[in-house]
Amino acid sequence: MADPTRDNRPGEEDEEEEELDETSYKTIKDAVLFAIDVSTTMLEQPPKSEDKKAERDSPTSAALKCAYQLMQQRIISNPHDMMGILLFGTEKTDLGDGDTTFQNCYLLADLNVPSASDVKRLRDLAEDEEEAAKLLRPADEPASIATVLFCANQIFTTKAPNFSSRRLFLVTDNDYPVKVKQDKDTAITRARDLYDLGCIIDLFPISRPGHGFDRTRFYDDLVYPSSPSDPDAPVAIPTATKIAKSGDGISLLKQLLSSINSKATPRRALFSLPLEFGAGMQIGVKGYILIKRQTHVKNCNVWVGGEKVQIATAVTSHMADDTARVVEKGEVRKAYKFGGDTITFTPEELAQIRQCFGEPVIRIIGFKPMSLLPLWANINKATFIYPSESDFVGSTRVFSALQQKLLQHKKMGLAWFIARRNAAPVIAAIIPGQEKYDDNGDQSMPPGLWIVPLPFADDMRQLPEQLGHLKATDELADSMRLIVEQLQLPKAEYDPAKYPNPDLQWFYKILQAMALEEEVPEKPDDKTVPKYRQINKRVAGNLQEFGELFEAEYQRQSGERGATAKKRAAENDADIKLPKRVKKEPASQAGGTDGMTDEEMGKLAEKGGVSKLNIPVLKGFLKDRGENTSGKKMDLVDRVQQYLESKGL
Amino acid sequence: MAGKEATVFVLDLARSMGETRHARSQSNLDWALEYVWDKITTTVATGRKTASIGVIGFRTNDTELADLIPEVEGYGHIQVLSPLKQILLSDIRSLQPQLRPSSTNSGDLLSALAVAITMLDKGTLGVRGNKLKYDRRIIIITDGTGRMDTKDLDDIVKKFNQDEKEGHKTEITLLGVDFDDPETGHKEEDKDPVKEVNEAILKDLVERCNGNFGTLAVAIKQLSIPRLKETRPIAGYKGTLTLGDSDKFESTLTIDVERYPCTMIAKPPTASSFVVRTDLSSTAGPSTQSSGTMAGDDYPIGPDGALSAVRNQRVYQVDNPDEPGAKMNVEPDDLERGFEYGRTAVHISESDANIVMLETNAGLELIGFVKEETFDRFLPMSRANFIVAQKANTQSQLALSSFIHALYEAGCYAVARLVTKEGKPPLLILLAPRIEGDQECLIDVELPFEEDMRRYKFPPLDKKLTVSGKTITEHRDLPNKDLMQAMSDYVDAMDLSGYDRDEDGEPTEYMKIEDTFSPLLHRISNIIRWRATNPTASELPPPAAILTKYSAPPADLQEQSGPQFAALKKAADVKRVPPKEKGRFKRRRQDREKPLSGLDVDALLGNPKRVKIEASNLIPTFKQALALTDDLDAIQAAADEMAGNIKELIKSSVGESGYGRALEAVRVLREELTEMEEPEMYNKFIRELKSELLGSKLNGDRREMWWKIRGSKYGLIDRKRSFASDVTEEEAADFYKG
Repeated sequence: MADPTRDNRPGEEDEEEEELDETSYKTIKDAVLFAIDVSTTMLEQPPKSEDKKAERDSPTSAALKCAYQLMQQRIISNPHDMMGILLFGTEKTDLGDGDTTFQNCYLLADLNVPSASDVKRLRDLAEDEEEAAKLLRPADEPASIATVLFCANQIFTTKAPNFSSRRLFLVTDNDYPVKVKQDKDTAITRARDLYDLGCIIDLFPISRPGHGFDRTRFYDDLVYPSSPSDPDAPVAIPTATKIAKSGDGISLLKQLLSSINSKATPRRALFSLPLEFGAGMQIGVKGYILIKRQTHVKNCNVWVGGEKVQIATAVTSHMADDTARVVEKGEVRKAYKFGGDTITFTPEELAQIRQCFGEPVIRIIGFKPMSLLPLWANINKATFIYPSESDFVGSTRVFSALQQKLLQHKKMGLAWFIARRNAAPVIAAIIPGQEKYDDNGDQSMPPGLWIVPLPFADDMRQLPEQLGHLKATDELADSMRLIVEQLQLPKAEYDPAKYPNPDLQWFYKILQAMALEEEVPEKPDDKTVPKYRQINKRVAGNLQEFGELFEAEYQRQSGERGATAKKRAAENDADIKLPKRVKKEPASQAGGTDGMTDEEMGKLAEKGGVSKLNIPVLKGFLKDRGENTSGKKMDLVDRVQQYLESKGL
Repeated sequence: MAGKEATVFVLDLARSMGETRHARSQSNLDWALEYVWDKITTTVATGRKTASIGVIGFRTNDTELADLIPEVEGYGHIQVLSPLKQILLSDIRSLQPQLRPSSTNSGDLLSALAVAITMLDKGTLGVRGNKLKYDRRIIIITDGTGRMDTKDLDDIVKKFNQDEKEGHKTEITLLGVDFDDPETGHKEEDKDPVKEVNEAILKDLVERCNGNFGTLAVAIKQLSIPRLKETRPIAGYKGTLTLGDSDKFESTLTIDVERYPCTMIAKPPTASSFVVRTDLSSTAGPSTQSSGTMAGDDYPIGPDGALSAVRNQRVYQVDNPDEPGAKMNVEPDDLERGFEYGRTAVHISESDANIVMLETNAGLELIGFVKEETFDRFLPMSRANFIVAQKANTQSQLALSSFIHALYEAGCYAVARLVTKEGKPPLLILLAPRIEGDQECLIDVELPFEEDMRRYKFPPLDKKLTVSGKTITEHRDLPNKDLMQAMSDYVDAMDLSGYDRDEDGEPTEYMKIEDTFSPLLHRISNIIRWRATNPTASELPPPAAILTKYSAPPADLQEQSGPQFAALKKAADVKRVPPKEKGRFKRRRQDREKPLSGLDVDALLGNPKRVKIEASNLIPTFKQALALTDDLDAIQAAADEMAGNIKELIKSSVGESGYGRALEAVRVLREELTEMEEPEMYNKFIRELKSELLGSKLNGDRREMWWKIRGSKYGLIDRKRSFASDVTEEEAADFYKG
């Protein structure tokens, strides 16, 4: 339900013509200020140990490493979001440009979209101990927490004035950082200022051996339960902010990383909708995007005309085609092309056309067993929904009952789903998601329901016609089945956490190296490449067996059908590369677009005629030879010529 | 792409077609035209030049044979209304007035058919006079009451059969108005004896020509079932499916496969951008011929409303190094390729362009297998594809079949790495077996990588954890036994898997995918076609019933499950939260948000009566000042101070440096005053601010700041936003102009 009183923030207004989806989600701008405590205890090195698993970092350096990792990660995942790092309790005082307003506060990286130099600085500090020792020197007196909070207030106000999400990540091991009550009261006031400003304090407490971290002593008076920008977002499990114990099994760094990662992106609902069970019974749910394809930034235009390389932003203006007159956005009309002319509707009519299917809702139509949801019935990613009490009291218990029932009986709901006004209605399956934990006891999959949009009849394509009717026998299938069973993934499950996107990782690794002007790494680490050695070890024998069975069966079936069996190239029985792909020899007959032979092309090239060919011919030629067919015409011509050269033509 | 099509409509326009019969609300002809226009506009909407249409009327007042047939003898009252050609919107316009009942009943259907045949023959010839490959169709609609000369009947049939033998079949469809239909059991009472004879003759004719003989009623009913667009499958990947590395190891498996789309979202037609032409004196371009398709006052009908296409123009801008805060335009020639790393621009020269690309080779490689039953069905994030063996490669077919059956029997899916083309980024896909009757294939969907998963945490739903780490199992947020039981009964009662009935009356699944049609897609294409033939109608028709069929549970199932639903509703006891009490009195101190500990911060501070608004802590102090008072003067004073600070921020801004802060302050002021129900306070401020900004009264040219306010829609608070406002929505909208 749209909240009419909610104000539009810049860039977050609903686009009228927007098809659907996460536009409003993407534009939420997030600014994170890391505030890291630098005190004697925070700098204490763990005892030296031979054990590889033993703790290596002081709490402060673990926090810096976290910040370093988060910064790199955010450049990839939220390239337009800001991040800053504030050290407090340091001997040095500097808020940039020698500003010393806030005692014992040192601004390591100003709140901004990170630059390459920020990353470099942070890395040097995280990895070079000598460098770190110079800066990380605690002041005699710990910094006043009120000062830190007001400092954060000023940084947020000036650097990220209209960001809808502003968060202060506070890393400390001191659960009572004041001496007198007076100081505590000031801190409480400053914390309230931050809250009123619209900023959230996220506390990452660290406990030391022999000294726990008791939030109730001090911080529970400073931290507010909800975020001002999204008051009824479910607060994560209250105990989730783990008190990291130094010197324990899992390293401090790992624990801190895990809790910071779960807050890496600000959580904000994609939609808030009624889930309707029947006439007069609705509950409130909120939708979240938990799965989304992360891609690297598109290439941009850089201006090289000045001293410093700068990113050029494109500004688009609308022009009337006939008169080249510049047109204001309000003048633009939408019209449908039809029969050589246009069909137009008034804006009111357009709204009526799109909105004739009713208000945004998730309306349950009925239920079916999960077995009636084949894998092919998929068109897009699923959206996660979780109950919200803000519109309907009792939503959570009803939602919970539904989720548990669906889980127990392997059922799904079918729903009529309109995500928001102007969105196209879809039919969706509502499937239950079970809460899962990883080996550390952390939640790895949240409990809730998932909305899987289903295809319509219009979205279904036909299976291309198959020629030939060779079918596997039970014997063959059983033989192959042994191979399948030998090669199960761990726990026979797919775990996305095990497969970083190799393209994305490589891209940013190179880009980072170039931005920092460093050596470019040579070999990518690609976890998606199959483990060939293991495969060979486990199933070589089975494959050989299958190969023999296959050969016999193929002879039998193709013989029966009077088909002429292609003689296999392989003489060795152990080599069972089945259908050796025969590179198509270029057809020799003249004419026909895909008919040019190497020789013909070679002759043409001598006369300089390759560039006179049209694109389909060039593409056809390249495609027949398994070459890349992308790019502009000049690229294609180049590639043809390279190919000819490689053939000595 | 479909092949070439030629369709000729042969329409009965007799006086008798003007009658309204059998308690219908429209005349026979208008009824028939529903079908005709639907067919014609569907073809027009495709925009295909190779789909031509001709229209012939018979039993018309005049005779016009368009030189198709020389003799007029026997061809009276037949009129070629449109030659065989691609129909455009303008042709629809000119056809419409011609399709009216005539004042005669004479004219011979069979002669009109002969004209149609000639039209098709002549219109589908190649340049050398040879017959081209065409889908030829003749669609006849008649009420069957006219006189027919049947002596050439056999010749017509012979002609049809001959053409069919030669591979140039013409499909003939005859739709009769109120003809008898043995299939639906429809039989017209007190049928005209002539009609009865004609029906028999026509039925015999059409059947001998291997055509379709039906009633208009059935044809119109079928119109409501949306037509699916067929698309020729195009392989997105042709290559190998491999297990193991055949370069390094001896025993590996390689199958030649092809990958085709299985699901692909069919998008509704999209609107293009146009502007109303301003230079009406100049010659009209091609896009401007009669756009008289608009109803409503603002949009004049006829050439006055001519539209011109909109073109986008791009300029490139960078920060001006000499003038901080200002932008300057740069030449596209000075631009090169680069990427953003954070806020650092990384320039990558043309020759280095590939350095950031991961080197990959095309291939589909198996990584391992997972159990079907433990796979999380919500993980797939893409549309689905088919993977089949390479065409006519029997070895691959047998090998893939073995693989499909092995997966099926093991209850497993395969995880594989796919690179569709050399140099493309790798994808992880899930392969599932699909065996349906004689058809076998693999289905694939894309899986998420690590980076694609957002690790948000949510509290458990089946228990509550307290801060101290205790687990609670009874809580108002947790369902009790009654609710669990009621939910379980309700879910079971609303089961759809056997709710529908198939042709034999056996229970079958309700709401199958093949029965659901994309509502918006068909709504938009229907309404465009409707508007094409109803340019002046003011009311839009509602969406077709079939498009909203699945927008609510089936009524009788709802009725059946009434008791379970009532029980669920009772056990759930859900209550709507009353709309927030708004107004200045809402902000009682005890309602203020408290920190986790529940501490009353104001009490801690000794409940101050006044808060001074500080420029350095503007927004918090402003909010706190408002929270402490409900006195109008105090509110006004706070707002005035805020306004002064906003103007100061703008005045002292170097370039745009202070605009962000000012804008945020404007937003807070607007929001708070709306909530305090003092919209006039804000409206007065924003009017003033606008004039000062545009009048350059705040230390220089500050128009950019006004555009920011406008872009953020922080203008006047109108009645819709606040009941206390006397500003209308139009007034608020106008405020943004100028």
